[in-house]
Amino acid sequence: MVGFTLVEKIIRKHTESSDEEIYPGNIVWVNLDLVTARDYAGPQVIDLFEKHYPGSETFDNKKIIFTPDCYPYGNDPKHAIDQEKLRVFAKKHDIQLTDLGSGIGSHLLFKRGLSLPGDIVIGADSHYNLLGALGILGQGAGDLMLAFAVKTGKYWIKIPETVKVELKGDYKWPTTVKDLALYVLKQLHEYGITGCSVEFHGEIISRLSIEERVTLCSLITEASGSIGFVAPDHITADYYKQFNIEIDSISADEDANYSSEIMIDIQDLGLYLACPPHPHNVKPIEEVVGTEIHSIVIGSCTNGTTLDFQQAARILKNQKVNPNVRLGLIPATREDFVSLNADGTMTTILEAGGNFFGAGCSTCAKGQYGLTGGKTTVSITTGNRNTQGKIGPGDVYLASPVVAAASAIEGKIAIPIKEYEQMGDE
Amino acid sequence: MSEEKINGQVKIIRVDDIDTDQIFHQSLLTIHDPEEIKPHIFGNLPGHQSFGKENNENKIVIVGKNFGKGSTRQQAVTGFLAHKIKAIIGESFGPIYYSNAVNAGLLLIEAPGILEFKIDDNDTLEIDLSNAMISNENKGTAMKCKSIPKPVIDIMKAGGLLELGEKTEF
Repeated sequence: MVGFTLVEKIIRKHTESSDEEIYPGNIVWVNLDLVTARDYAGPQVIDLFEKHYPGSETFDNKKIIFTPDCYPYGNDPKHAIDQEKLRVFAKKHDIQLTDLGSGIGSHLLFKRGLSLPGDIVIGADSHYNLLGALGILGQGAGDLMLAFAVKTGKYWIKIPETVKVELKGDYKWPTTVKDLALYVLKQLHEYGITGCSVEFHGEIISRLSIEERVTLCSLITEASGSIGFVAPDHITADYYKQFNIEIDSISADEDANYSSEIMIDIQDLGLYLACPPHPHNVKPIEEVVGTEIHSIVIGSCTNGTTLDFQQAARILKNQKVNPNVRLGLIPATREDFVSLNADGTMTTILEAGGNFFGAGCSTCAKGQYGLTGGKTTVSITTGNRNTQGKIGPGDVYLASPVVAAASAIEGKIAIPIKEYEQMGDE
Repeated sequence: MSEEKINGQVKIIRVDDIDTDQIFHQSLLTIHDPEEIKPHIFGNLPGHQSFGKENNENKIVIVGKNFGKGSTRQQAVTGFLAHKIKAIIGESFGPIYYSNAVNAGLLLIEAPGILEFKIDDNDTLEIDLSNAMISNENKGTAMKCKSIPKPVIDIMKAGGLLELGEKTEF
């Protein structure tokens, strides 16, 4: 008998279907460990639940969390009404709610140890699959799926094919994991991974922190993949020790059935940006260096962690943001804010001319959309989506916090070589 | 979805990687009424912005690879139901879009090679669901598509996922 891949193993642990039914392309029902909803889509989930299942209890109120995070400003009165609806329902059903300012739901699940390796969790967020960085099967889901899940605790999933990706080689500062993630996105989009689960392998993986793994896995959605996994290892186990949690070991079988295995050479990888009009339009920085930039946003569920701001601060220390540039920073969670305040990173960035905004989602879901400006504004964000017209009418580039910081100083897309030499490697 | 065969005139959108922000832009996310969503469909897709305001009733829409990639927004499915689109045939679909469509009762047909299939706007197609065949009645040609998994048919026959939840004990 052929063994199982990581995603198949997780599904197998959560389903009443037999082993014979666990194969790519088949659809099975699974029992969920956690269902979440946010201020985007959450109100519709509540309306649908109450319309279709009037007077019902939820499947398990301790396995539901509401995480309003999309609209941290409440910049539209409609958002305030929606957020209120979450609070009222949460109180009625005794559901945990991480209110405004707590941060992005997907990040809170690992920052607070609310979800564990091997779990299946769904939320109204297409980047829930970034939880694959911790071996959690996180999936984005629409209003109907979530309303059904709140009632039943069930979810149907088309078992994805698994692509094994071997990352071969290593890279050096100022290249960071975002450059790796963008480069991998380009390769995987070209290769074609629609609906697939990806397992990342290679020596480099054991050197990546949880935050870096999250960034790597957060761009799989942009290649139309289902999820990217890093199998839980000693780094994952150490991470959960802060919550006094011993994680179960879970990994693919030696003889797992991969639909394909590919190797991506990342030796001496350079700096990359996703250029307009699509995230997968990834180019080496040399092709776009010098492009004038007016707005820069560091934040979102891709590159909104403490590490990302620390890396930006390393470039911005004793520098000034170009007067033609607005630099906005949005930490993913309150925990990140606290760390950045404690170690002086915030002061460094504020002194350079950056502006911090409330923890939560960035420009992606309209909540802090205004940061990118009008038609003549060209932007860089460290986020994950630059589809033309999405976060502003002008061109948008995706880059690492390091490239974003260097570009903020120069007022144009810039290679952070000069700053690097000034500061020296750590 | 009671019929085994679906007929309709074709509207081709010959574009790969259409994401949900091109189907229904994020700035509109507080809109949930299907009739209000309808005119905005493809409102951010260059060359096809007028789709939402045209009459597309009973049409079969054809799209390229990775259709519906991007966000989880249900409106990107609801809008096609408001247009009374009979089915969307695509080279492939984003995984979240696929499940959102099934759960709402919008028929998606995965047909790798559909953009190479000889086909023009307003041709009449027949989709034979039980035999997984697509035929072009104007050109007299036919091609295979992927068959629809049984759980998907169960959900669609119930009228959607929430309706299935009302009828079945989970």
